[in-house]
Amino acid sequence: MSSDQDHLKETDTEARFEFKKEENSAFQTEKGLTEETIRLISEDKDEPEWMYERRLRALKQFQQMPMPTDWPGQPDLSEVDIDEIVPYIRPDIETRGGAENWEDLPDEIQDTFDKLGIPEAEKNALSGVGAQYESEIVYQNMQEQWEEKGVIFCDMDKAVQEHEEIVKEYFMTKCVPPSDNKFAALHGAIWSGGSFVYIPEDTTVNMPVQAYFRMNSEGMGQFEHTLIIAEENSEVHYIEGCSAPKYSAFNLHSGGVEVFVGENAHVQYSTVQNWSKNTYNLNTKRAIVEEEGTMEWVSGSMGSKATMLYPATILKGRGATDNHITIAFAGEGQNIDTGAKVYHNAPDTKSTIESKSISKDGGRTNYRGLVHIADGAENSSTSVECDALMFDNESTSDTMPYMEIQESKVDVAHEATVGKIGDEDVFYLQSRGLDDDDAKQMIVAGFIEPITEELPIEYAVELNRLIELEMEGSLG
Amino acid sequence: MSTQVHANLTRDQVEQISEQLGEPEWLLETRLEALDALDDLEMPDVIRTPGRDWTNLDALDFESFVDPLNAAQDKERVSAEGIEVLEWSDAVAEHGDLLEERFGSVVDPEENYLTALSTALFTDGTVVYVPEGVDAEDVKIRTTMNSQSLFNYTLVVTEESSSVTILERQSTGDAVEGERYYSGIVEVAAGENSHVQYGSLQNLDDETYNYTLKRGTADTYADVNWIEANMGSRLTKSEVETTLDGDGAESHIVGAFFGHDDQHFDINSRVWHRAEHTTADLVTRGVLDDRARSVYEGVQDVGRDAWNTSSYQRENTLMLSDESEADASPKLIINNHDTEASHSATVGQVDKQDLFYMTSRGVDPRSARNMLVEGFFVPVLEEVAVDELSDDIEELVAERLRN
Repeated sequence: MSSDQDHLKETDTEARFEFKKEENSAFQTEKGLTEETIRLISEDKDEPEWMYERRLRALKQFQQMPMPTDWPGQPDLSEVDIDEIVPYIRPDIETRGGAENWEDLPDEIQDTFDKLGIPEAEKNALSGVGAQYESEIVYQNMQEQWEEKGVIFCDMDKAVQEHEEIVKEYFMTKCVPPSDNKFAALHGAIWSGGSFVYIPEDTTVNMPVQAYFRMNSEGMGQFEHTLIIAEENSEVHYIEGCSAPKYSAFNLHSGGVEVFVGENAHVQYSTVQNWSKNTYNLNTKRAIVEEEGTMEWVSGSMGSKATMLYPATILKGRGATDNHITIAFAGEGQNIDTGAKVYHNAPDTKSTIESKSISKDGGRTNYRGLVHIADGAENSSTSVECDALMFDNESTSDTMPYMEIQESKVDVAHEATVGKIGDEDVFYLQSRGLDDDDAKQMIVAGFIEPITEELPIEYAVELNRLIELEMEGSLG
Repeated sequence: MSTQVHANLTRDQVEQISEQLGEPEWLLETRLEALDALDDLEMPDVIRTPGRDWTNLDALDFESFVDPLNAAQDKERVSAEGIEVLEWSDAVAEHGDLLEERFGSVVDPEENYLTALSTALFTDGTVVYVPEGVDAEDVKIRTTMNSQSLFNYTLVVTEESSSVTILERQSTGDAVEGERYYSGIVEVAAGENSHVQYGSLQNLDDETYNYTLKRGTADTYADVNWIEANMGSRLTKSEVETTLDGDGAESHIVGAFFGHDDQHFDINSRVWHRAEHTTADLVTRGVLDDRARSVYEGVQDVGRDAWNTSSYQRENTLMLSDESEADASPKLIINNHDTEASHSATVGQVDKQDLFYMTSRGVDPRSARNMLVEGFFVPVLEEVAVDELSDDIEELVAERLRN
């Protein structure tokens, strides 16, 4: 189908990388991000030439692209100072990106660690104070099991060296090209760390693959790249991040995630994000799904000062399915702008988006989503549901869905509601002996249950506890 | 983008239009300022997503069809007892103070490029003035466009505790070589506890580009209700909006469209809740046949101080053809938690089960489909207070289905 091809071209951007060498001189400024910086990063990692080239091309894209400023109601990004980035990414400058000492951490973060009951070693890793942290023993046991099946799960930098051919084919070429947006371009230039996951045909990985175990001090995973390739009939659940707050002195997180879901394969990608409230969290995540494959995104956005995150799925093969579940919680000073994008590029494809948001104490949440059904994607169906809960009139809750329907044999439904916590619900719970706070907490826990039940139990528990803490107003 | 038209237009033309209508100095000034502002103004907002403009107004070639001095139309105005329905020159002569107070108070003439163009060049207008306590029904303003371009202006002012129902319709008369442009601006200022229903049926020919901005403000306990039916034109950009300024104010915005051939409808319904206890209900239903394309944007904006708000929005599009396209974006912007707000949107075909049921009763498939499409518009037709409007919409829908 020709429309398929057109849409996929948008993601296959090798051709768009054609830059002229003469343009180089314009970027050789002393300050900020330069080719020299990129060369140092690449040399330090001992990367092959092609990766260095890709970084340079991404850098040029980044320098040419304007900052996104004209999206209605978008977070203010004017405080993101790219020039400040250099000390955190140049390997010849000594810093880990976290706090120098435990005492340097903001009080509210120390407080949250204590309240969540996070072990000391983990606390140190999360705050960037500690040395490299990996749960070696647990991790190694899993590693052995996986290796028997041919599963690869390793650091992205290591994958560039050891699985060069696969990485070269898939890394920011077909799924998230650097030209996608300014921060994808930045990511392409300075990415470091992250995970590479390869699941061979007919393989099911029973236990969730967790980046949690892989976290280390290097750049605090601020520009990490995750590449997941699930071959035919395989199945995997990948979990990124964790619900405990992460602190970093540099205030930009710009990760990239690319997922390739093979025929009849099933990938679930779960994230609970809780960056400290000075962080700008600007990620690009995208999946391409082949025939009869299924992609599931489960995202919780709790932290950060501003988040702009719209996980996208391209349903490329007939009968492919996408499910999105997202939850956003914006407290004081937070602007959480999230949503989902789905491109139906083949017949019989199906998508569902379920979004829940809570805004409180002047926080701002925005659902921004796009569903595109291409001409020829017959018998596709999509259902979008957005519910928002507001606590006060200082807060803001926006819902901005976009639907582009170019095919008539479709079933498209979108629904959204916004409201406050029902007085009657609170009254009922109070009449059963709960106090006002407990009643509200219980209602919120019920409101987000569709999300928590998708997560492994330890994450769900932590997420619930975290929301309780936010509700008590005991966190900054 | 904007300078191309400007080169074609002169202050002389604007002065000539204003003089012919016997306008006072302030109005001429307003027109000239709007003309001067064209250089700096942008086209009305359209939705853009990555790689896709939902409507491209910048591509319109105004120079080929803006001809302000040769505007021609047939106009029929039907008034009602106790109120005034005046053509522009009479309104200028008899209600100078009212115009000076209200003109441009709801729609800023320099809001965008097309409003400024319309303000500078409008050659005819209508003023509906409803005095305190008067109830008026079935006011009709019928416009038949006979020229290359036509710029129209309408002002409705209702005083305390009055009510009025208005039907406006636009169609094209004499054939003209090439493309045409129709532009209409409607301002409604609804006083305390007054009720306005403004129904509009646009049935311009398929060579006409149409820009319409209708906006009302509702004072305390006032209702501003809109019926916006779009059947004709090549391309329509229609913005229908209400600001709920007074406590307890209400607005219903009801839309219907039926596109065929390569028609393009960009329909916008917007409401701003700016006071307490306000209610809004936005309902739009559209049908697309052939290669027709629709764009829908609905906005429910609840302000910080809009306590106890109720706001609802529904949009449904039926696609009769594989070649048609429907884009929709219903938006909620909520700044006060004491709100009950919802929206929903659907796109799909005529329900297969309904069709099956009807054919099993012996109705042939084509008639069954037509009946279901006619039925699809019923919730919209039920809202219409002026019979002539609902009858005409029904007739036009039926006619289009049978061709």
